[in-house]
Amino acid sequence: MHLSVTLRSEIVKRVRAFFDARAYLEVHTPRMVALPGQEPYLSPFWTKLHDIHGGAFDRALITSPEYAMKKLLASGLEKIYDLGPCFRDGEPTDGSHAPEFLLLEWYRKRADLFSLMDETEDMLRFVGRGLRDAELAPPFRRMTVAEAMKVYAHIDLGEILEDREALAALVIEHGGTVQTEDTWDDLFFKIFLTEVEPNLGWNHNKTIWQPTFLWNYPLSQASLAAKNPEDSRYALRTELYIGDLELGNGFQELTDAEEQRGRFLEEIRLRESLGKQTWAMDEELLQALTQLGKVSGLAFGVDRLVMLLAETDKITHLTNGL
Amino acid sequence: MASPNEIKKGIVLKDEAGLWLVTEFQHVNPGKGSAFVRSRIKNLQTGKTLERTYKVAETIEIVNVDHRRMQFIYKDQTGYTFMDNDTYEQVALPEDQVGEEARFMKEGMEVMVSLYDGKPIAVELPRKMTFKVVEAPEVVAGNTASGGNLTKEVVLEGGISIRAPMFIKEGEQIVINTETGEYVERAK
Repeated sequence: MHLSVTLRSEIVKRVRAFFDARAYLEVHTPRMVALPGQEPYLSPFWTKLHDIHGGAFDRALITSPEYAMKKLLASGLEKIYDLGPCFRDGEPTDGSHAPEFLLLEWYRKRADLFSLMDETEDMLRFVGRGLRDAELAPPFRRMTVAEAMKVYAHIDLGEILEDREALAALVIEHGGTVQTEDTWDDLFFKIFLTEVEPNLGWNHNKTIWQPTFLWNYPLSQASLAAKNPEDSRYALRTELYIGDLELGNGFQELTDAEEQRGRFLEEIRLRESLGKQTWAMDEELLQALTQLGKVSGLAFGVDRLVMLLAETDKITHLTNGL
Repeated sequence: MASPNEIKKGIVLKDEAGLWLVTEFQHVNPGKGSAFVRSRIKNLQTGKTLERTYKVAETIEIVNVDHRRMQFIYKDQTGYTFMDNDTYEQVALPEDQVGEEARFMKEGMEVMVSLYDGKPIAVELPRKMTFKVVEAPEVVAGNTASGGNLTKEVVLEGGISIRAPMFIKEGEQIVINTETGEYVERAK
């Protein structure tokens, strides 16, 4: 099954060719940093750096190159991409996660979320040519989280967006369980993961792919995305689904340092409540954000794309070819 | 009390609605969300199936279930009776507690019986079984009753009615998926 090893090499070449042709600069940001991101549900690998005087310093492997790339954007670069290994500890062994995986991340100044989606579609058609042309050719579906909840779960998201009790009642109605510790997001996912997500990347009878951008997320799931200026309860975030896989996560980036600082504090607080290790905020990053202007970026799972094209359900096939 | 991380196919969960058999499960991590286990569960009393997503961090109750290979001996008004060929012990499962697949059980066949607290709660048949076709209408070209369908109704030994491809004839042996009740292929 060395097919998937050689296929991965070809896909990576095509990805580079796509961005190079569009005048993106490939950057190679550090894999090992002092201050990794503090997303509450990601666990970086930690190690120690030693100097010649016997001093030891904590270092972490990156879970994504985001922070370093944003600092590069702040220093004046316009269009950049980074394609390299990233590392995440504690992920489920469900076939689509590996502790080390190839992540593509790109950023473009003066681009909004929709141009980012357009570019992602173009990239997929270019990279997948000759492999799954028929399914990648039609325009990708674009659905807001609210639309998806309506279509697949028959729920009006706007009505329960700020109402945990109403959402809890719906979870029970939909056959789920509710525990007092469940947050609004936990309850949302109990319905979303059961009834919505398995259907997003497929046509209505699940026989062929229907690549779909899910976008306009509730603010609690905004992460580093800017608020939607037309409805500040939602954020300009998108995820791409093809078949059963989530391939990418993109934002029109939040560039308000104070709001970002607030979100980082929230993350740290949540990490603490989950009994997880926390560390200092990256102040350099916060500084850099103020100089970015409108910018959009997307993190894309290259290994998962190869899995789809190689028709395998095991990400490990790509690295050991077995 | 247990964690949803322990969910596996075939285990039985207990909640206010009764006992649930896990028929499928998958770990899911939504991007930037907590960890969850998505599962398909079947209520052992009502037979109703449900898809439910548990948060990995919540507590659930897993009950101890015995699985024993037993022989299906007969069916009568008390239900389906099974015998353990080692101990000669017999247990009976009421008709309404056996699922749709009950109609595929043949006397004398071996099945897996799940027991909770010594009482049978579920029976599992082999997923594929072979049956003889005892009635299959002949298909005549231009027969408007078939109207462009690719399948026709046939009757199997035991009086089971299912849909099978047009080319299947009386006397043939065919393989059925007992879970879905669908034709799989001609027996080899």
